[in-house]
Amino acid sequence: MKLKSLAFPALLIGALEIWARTTGQGSDAIAPPSAAVRAFWGAITDGSLFEATAFTLGTAALGLLIGALGGLLLGTLLGLSRRAAQLGFLSVEVARPIPSVALIPLAMLVFGFGLRMELSVVAFACLWPMLVLTQAAVQQVEPRLLEVARALELTPRQRFAWIIGPAIVPRLFVALRLGVAIALVVAVTVEIAANPHGMGYAMMIAQQSLDPALMLAWLAWIGVVGYVINVGALALQRRVARAMGEQAA
Amino acid sequence: MTDTVLHFDRVAIELGGRQILSPTELTVKRGEFVCVIGPSGCGKTTLLRAAAGFVTPSQGSVRRKGAPITGPSREVAFVFQDYGRALLPWRTVQANVSLALEAANVPAAERPARIDHVLKTVGLAAHGQKFPAQLSGGMQQRVQIARCLAQRPDVMLMDEPFGALDAMTRETLQDELARLVREEGLTVMFVTHDLEEALYLGDRVIALRSNPTPELPSLAALIDVPLPQPRDQLSTKEHPEFLRLRRELYHYLGH
Repeated sequence: MKLKSLAFPALLIGALEIWARTTGQGSDAIAPPSAAVRAFWGAITDGSLFEATAFTLGTAALGLLIGALGGLLLGTLLGLSRRAAQLGFLSVEVARPIPSVALIPLAMLVFGFGLRMELSVVAFACLWPMLVLTQAAVQQVEPRLLEVARALELTPRQRFAWIIGPAIVPRLFVALRLGVAIALVVAVTVEIAANPHGMGYAMMIAQQSLDPALMLAWLAWIGVVGYVINVGALALQRRVARAMGEQAA
Repeated sequence: MTDTVLHFDRVAIELGGRQILSPTELTVKRGEFVCVIGPSGCGKTTLLRAAAGFVTPSQGSVRRKGAPITGPSREVAFVFQDYGRALLPWRTVQANVSLALEAANVPAAERPARIDHVLKTVGLAAHGQKFPAQLSGGMQQRVQIARCLAQRPDVMLMDEPFGALDAMTRETLQDELARLVREEGLTVMFVTHDLEEALYLGDRVIALRSNPTPELPSLAALIDVPLPQPRDQLSTKEHPEFLRLRRELYHYLGH
């Protein structure tokens, strides 16, 4: 199974190797995978791989944390209070479709280059799915459970802690998994577009210094990192869903 | 000292401008098992929800031990038909029962003994650590009944509790409930659309009709069931009185 799913990528890489060696000799844009592997090894040995990966992942994780916490708080508020939902509806619907990269100029003005600028854009991008999904989760808590809460005369605090909170946890982890993917994409995008740090910037530098082998190495590496993180997030989401008594998620 | 637990004092209920229940007078006494039957949409569930404080009557009032009911109370337990939705899927059987004790501020030290007791009462002593999704429908409904017993309520309101179960399980649970009522002296108001179930379980059966008018009010019939206790799935259901009452009540179910 595992081997079968590897067969097609292996074939593709082999074809690229042959094609790059026959037609792309001395090209500024194309490099054979074997050259990319050598460049990748170089990036490992000079420490740039670890440094850039740590920066991008760290920023994505921290931005996700900030955005998800904000989305969780706002989403819970909008989900619990119909008045808050009515007041906030227009603001959310206007702010939500703004592409997160469109925020880069503003973030640069406010924070300059560096960690905080990238953090703010990632947090903004992660806030909305978390907010919308949290709000929906709170509003869609099984009505029967809320009647059980009424029948047992639970206080609003008890109702939240014992019924609504646990009931929304599985869907929060669905939102978090979406957030993980968004955070990584946005972090790399910000680095490509503006911020001189991380994996996105390293790839841009490789391209601008006419080193297609290194550029391809970074591209493949970003793909692998994204894949591993998404698999991990999905496994976590399923585990939480099972722990909370859901049949399937 | 009054032994009237529930008193429906000329209770009428409108929902969305439609009269569901015309003024209805009814009392439920301590230790009594009262069944409510009627066709779909006749307001039998609404009547029960008014007793639970989920619905406020448009006229009259429901009184519990003399005091008007203004909202839900832990003294009144409600068993929902859809047990699968009424249990917390993230809590074990024990923890689901514990919810009622936590709500009533029972000290943590006293809870395990009370949980064990009610789980033993409903025959789930060996399943306390399981989650609801690991149990059959009948067992899940037992968990909900256990949670309601843990409340030590004045009255247990049951809304078609066995309606979603298969016939075999339903009969088993009917007998278990009848035994519980005898042993624990429970007061029960039980809504069902199954006439035989109502006659088998009830000390009294109330038949409601749909679309009440001043000439034909909601309360269509109120019948005592003088069948001997304890009842038995075979001999009770072959008893001449059972068959006579069944015939008498049959047309109230919309036939």
